[in-house]
Amino acid sequence: MTQYTTQKTHFVLIAFLTGGLLTIMTLFNGQVALGGGAIFSSWVAHGVGTVAAIIALIVLFRRRPKGGARSPAPLWAYLGGISGALTVILTSTTVNTPLALSGTIALGLAGQMVFGLGADVLGLFGLPKRRLARRELFSFAMICAGSLIIIYLGRV
Amino acid sequence: MGIWIYVSLAFAAGLLVGLSRQINGRLSLSTSPLESSFWNHAVGFAVLCVIALSIGWSHPQDGLSDIPLSAYAGGAVGVVFIASSSWLIARIGAAQTAVLVIAGQMVSSVILDIAMGTAGVAWARTLGVALILAGIFYGRRSRD
Repeated sequence: MTQYTTQKTHFVLIAFLTGGLLTIMTLFNGQVALGGGAIFSSWVAHGVGTVAAIIALIVLFRRRPKGGARSPAPLWAYLGGISGALTVILTSTTVNTPLALSGTIALGLAGQMVFGLGADVLGLFGLPKRRLARRELFSFAMICAGSLIIIYLGRV
Repeated sequence: MGIWIYVSLAFAAGLLVGLSRQINGRLSLSTSPLESSFWNHAVGFAVLCVIALSIGWSHPQDGLSDIPLSAYAGGAVGVVFIASSSWLIARIGAAQTAVLVIAGQMVSSVILDIAMGTAGVAWARTLGVALILAGIFYGRRSRD
C-alpha cells in the first residue's frame, strides 16, 4: 500500500509538471502567434518539434530499451498529430468570437474531461479500461471548479 | 443560434486534445513516448503544411521580425509535453492525465501571471488554486 501510494505520488507530480510545460509552451507559441498568426505559430512549433524529436531520438538511441515482444502499432496510432493540428484551427477561430479566450479554455477543458472519462470507461483506442472511484470523480470536480474560478474570476 | 456553433467548436477542440493524447498513448505502448511525440509532430507538421497552402496564412507576415528568437523554443517544449502525456496516459488513465495536466497548467499560469505582474483578482486566484490543490490531495487519499 505504501509503495502504491509513493508510486502514485510521483505520477501526480509528473502530471502536474507536465501542465507547467503546457503553460511555458503556450507562452512561447503565443509570442510567435502574435507576430505570425495562430496557424503559422502551430506550423513552426510542429516543425521545430519534429527536428527536436529527431535530435533527442538520436542522442538517446543507445539507451533505448530492446523491446522484443512488443506488438506492432496499428497504422491509425501514427495519426494522433492530425487531431492535434486541427485543434489549433478550432481554437484560433473561437478565441475571436464572443467566447473569447476564457470561453475557449473553459469549453476545451470540458471537452478534454468528457473525452477522458469516456475513454477510461470504454477503454478507447487500445488503452486499458478503468473504473473510476467516486472519490476520483469528486476530486475531478474540485479541480475543474478551481480552474473555472481562475478562468472566469481570476482575470481583470 | 450563432454562439452555439462556436460553443460546439471550442468543445470539439477539447475532444480533439483528448483524442490525440489517447492515440499517441497507444503508439507509445508499441514504440516509446519519444517516438510517439516525434510522429505526433511530423504528422501534425504535414497536415499544417497542407492547411497553410490551401487557406494561406491567417495573418500578415510583416510581424515576423517582432518575434523573439527564444519563442521558437515552444516546439521543443512541446516534444517533452507530448512524450510526457503519452507516458502518463498509459499509467494513470485518460481522465487522471487530463485533470492533473489541467491542474498544473492552471496553477503555473497563475504563478506566471503574478511573476510577470499581470493584473488579476487575488481572492479568485487564491480560491481557485486552493480548490485545485485540495482536489489533488483529496483524490490522493488512500482508497478502501
